Amino acid sequence: MKQLTIVMLLLSICAVTLKAQSQEQQQELKGIIKVNVDGLSCPFCAYGLEKKLKKMEGVTKIEIDVPNAFALLTIEDGKSVSEELIRDKVKDAGFTAREIKEVSNEK
Amino acid sequence: MKKLLLVIFYLSVFTATFAQGPPIFTDTPIMLGLEGRGIRTFGNIISRENGSGYVHPVVFPYNITNKWQVGVAVPFVSMRPSGSTSRSGVGDLAVFTKYQIYQKDGKGKTLRSLIKLAETFPTGNSTDSPALGTGANQTTISLVNGYVTTKFGLYTEVGYNITSNGLPDNFIYNIALGYPLLPQKYPPNQVNVFLELIGNYILDDIGNNLFVAPGIQYIAGRRVLFESGIQIPLNQVAPVGQQTDYILRIGTRILIF
Repeated sequence: MKQLTIVMLLLSICAVTLKAQSQEQQQELKGIIKVNVDGLSCPFCAYGLEKKLKKMEGVTKIEIDVPNAFALLTIEDGKSVSEELIRDKVKDAGFTAREIKEVSNEK
Repeated sequence: MKKLLLVIFYLSVFTATFAQGPPIFTDTPIMLGLEGRGIRTFGNIISRENGSGYVHPVVFPYNITNKWQVGVAVPFVSMRPSGSTSRSGVGDLAVFTKYQIYQKDGKGKTLRSLIKLAETFPTGNSTDSPALGTGANQTTISLVNGYVTTKFGLYTEVGYNITSNGLPDNFIYNIALGYPLLPQKYPPNQVNVFLELIGNYILDDIGNNLFVAPGIQYIAGRRVLFESGIQIPLNQVAPVGQQTDYILRIGTRILIF
């Protein structure tokens, strides 16, 4: 019984630790965000990506650079978007998101 | 032979009917862009030694997910045999589904494959002459591959078409190479040129049909493109007097939503 209690306690600690790590990984991004997108090979296909990214709350502007394979998202002042949500939207659009980072006002 | 010629005719016109993006006659494994809610329509003008025909399908694709698509193609057909009465009406209706089985993305490039299943129903009148439909059910299963970069696109389609009513089955094989003439940008303003080979080999020792098809496509923005291509026969099984001179396609693809 004592051993079972110890095991349960250890499992609980592991679960809490993993949850905290997961929350840390869901980074909130602001300002101008650069999303590197793999698979972006034809401009006609990029329309779906633009539509999916535009649907995110707080996104005011989308610019897609096909030759350099990235999208720039402008986020409304005071709002933020999670990196995980951006990755999900890119995947929903049929592409693969690579590095995602804030670039402030610089492109 | 007349029914078989109609099957070949439908294959020439329909194999790439379900494609949402470039190229013009060969299908593509990329089901993006129209986001599954577009319309594709085009006219095919067929010139033959013994008359002419016109087929105008309207295709409605719908993406259930970004990897799974269903759709329907409804063709209007007009046949004008030399020295005989012309007839027009609805041809053989087709439904199709596509499922993407492979995707590997890189910077400015993608390699994708999908399986396509299409069923064509004998909805066109096949009893009166000239016939508008084949009078046969056709089931086609194909593997569609594409390697597309910002510099060029290479597409292949191989398939098997099963026919009913005693008509012979056939293998479908298409290959296309596409090249953009203008720098890539978004929103798009692009001119693509294509060179395609459109083939089908008919079983029962009947033979091989092979067409070469140059084409040009103008992408005028996010939601519309215009295209034209011509299939010129290199080899065909139709008897002399009934052979195809060319198949000219003029079409558009429009995003609705």
